[in-house]
Amino acid sequence: MTPPRRRTTRRAESAEPDLFGLTPATHAPPPPEPPRSYISEFIEQVGYPGESARSAVTVSMLTETARDVIEGAFVPIWVRGEISDFKAHRNGHWYFCLRDRNALVRCVVWNRDQFRIPAAPDNGMQVAAFGRLTVYASRGEMQFTIARIEADGDGLRRKALEITRARLEADGLLALERKRPLPRFPRVIAVVTSPDGAALHDIKAVVRRRAANVHLVVVAAAVQGTSAPEELCFALDQINRWGGADVVIVGRGGGAHEDLWAFNDERVARAVAACGVPTISAVGHEIDISICDLVADYRAPTPSAAAEAATRSQAELRRELAQLSSRMASAARASVRSSADRLRHLARDVAAAGNDHVLSRRTQLETIAGRLHALSPVATLARGYAVARDKDGATLDSIAAFRDRMPFELVVRDGVVPAKVSGPRRGSR
Amino acid sequence: MTTFEQRLARLEEIAAELDGEQVDLSRALELFEEGIENLRAASEEVARAGARVQRLVERADGSFELDEPNE
Repeated sequence: MTPPRRRTTRRAESAEPDLFGLTPATHAPPPPEPPRSYISEFIEQVGYPGESARSAVTVSMLTETARDVIEGAFVPIWVRGEISDFKAHRNGHWYFCLRDRNALVRCVVWNRDQFRIPAAPDNGMQVAAFGRLTVYASRGEMQFTIARIEADGDGLRRKALEITRARLEADGLLALERKRPLPRFPRVIAVVTSPDGAALHDIKAVVRRRAANVHLVVVAAAVQGTSAPEELCFALDQINRWGGADVVIVGRGGGAHEDLWAFNDERVARAVAACGVPTISAVGHEIDISICDLVADYRAPTPSAAAEAATRSQAELRRELAQLSSRMASAARASVRSSADRLRHLARDVAAAGNDHVLSRRTQLETIAGRLHALSPVATLARGYAVARDKDGATLDSIAAFRDRMPFELVVRDGVVPAKVSGPRRGSR
Repeated sequence: MTTFEQRLARLEEIAAELDGEQVDLSRALELFEEGIENLRAASEEVARAGARVQRLVERADGSFELDEPNE
């Protein structure tokens, strides 16, 4: 029995696949004493597989061999085409065709590979798909197994954003009424970001420049890559369980569109919404708007702006205190004036009757007014005002309150000084 | 412990009450003294500037500690 002539193909000899698991050496004339193997016995009795009706191969063998050939012939490649007949099967896999004017190939995206694809593609979308060509043996069809898809015009990401946004909106998470005001003077600011990223660096720089008296607590999370959404969610959950933060900044510095993608993840958006304290979202640069930005209580255009929004500078605080202090002082002066006026009128009305009671109240008033006057120039008070107090904290505001050698304390701007009555008391009036 | 925010809120209240019509004089003085005390404490707090940066670390038992970051 002679072996069949081997068909030559356009492919180089060495690259020709070994269809039936036999090495070309078996085509050579048998050595003088061939070893008696199962295969050589088979060939002797039946002939080469598929050579004759007697040695016909099974369908499975044919399609499986075709699969081996095709898988061996193609490296994974990008293929451009239009999506059609898209079906998301109950088993979680996606089935569709990629086609152009003249041809189509059946495609599948396994469930486990879908996390790399922002959203399921729609029929009619022009895409580039990355995958490997194989044969689906049980149907005898060629099949392109896809791992990544990029739609023209970033269509898949846009679709994914719309879907996520609609779902969050349906749950009321984008409602403006949900937005909580930021604390005006937070002590502890939690920062969810990469511990060595630009965002944290910028936030620290702003806080230092403003000399803000705050405590930054970094909660580390990857801000890009496949683990980023989970890590961001976990960090936000940690902050809730810890319970020590007054406000949370979540974000990262600028980057390519896909680097910011974790902040468009629905899970991250929901974790931001579930945060127990007000949240500031700071993702990328001004122009980047993420789903996270829409859910957070405050959207900062950059991490630096987030730090500005979360903190008050020392100068701002001083200004605010000065304003309050002068407002209080003038209110107090006005109050004294109006009381004095009222009393003066009253006194004039009853003067004819020589009402001692009114006069004595007037004296009393003048004493209080005098004290208040001593207190009222607030600038002076802040600089050098002191209050004498007894051990129970009661203000000692008259010589009558002091006894000989009585210990008391003097409260000055920056602390308390123990003191003692050391000599005879003298009245000033 | 009174927070800075509470102090400022109290100062606002005091100023508003002092601004109001016909505050009794002894009440005015009382408010004023309380205000001065709040101002002093708040100014002290402002002067204590300087941010601290720490890292939140969760222990195996689910409790938390704050670590100084190694920079």
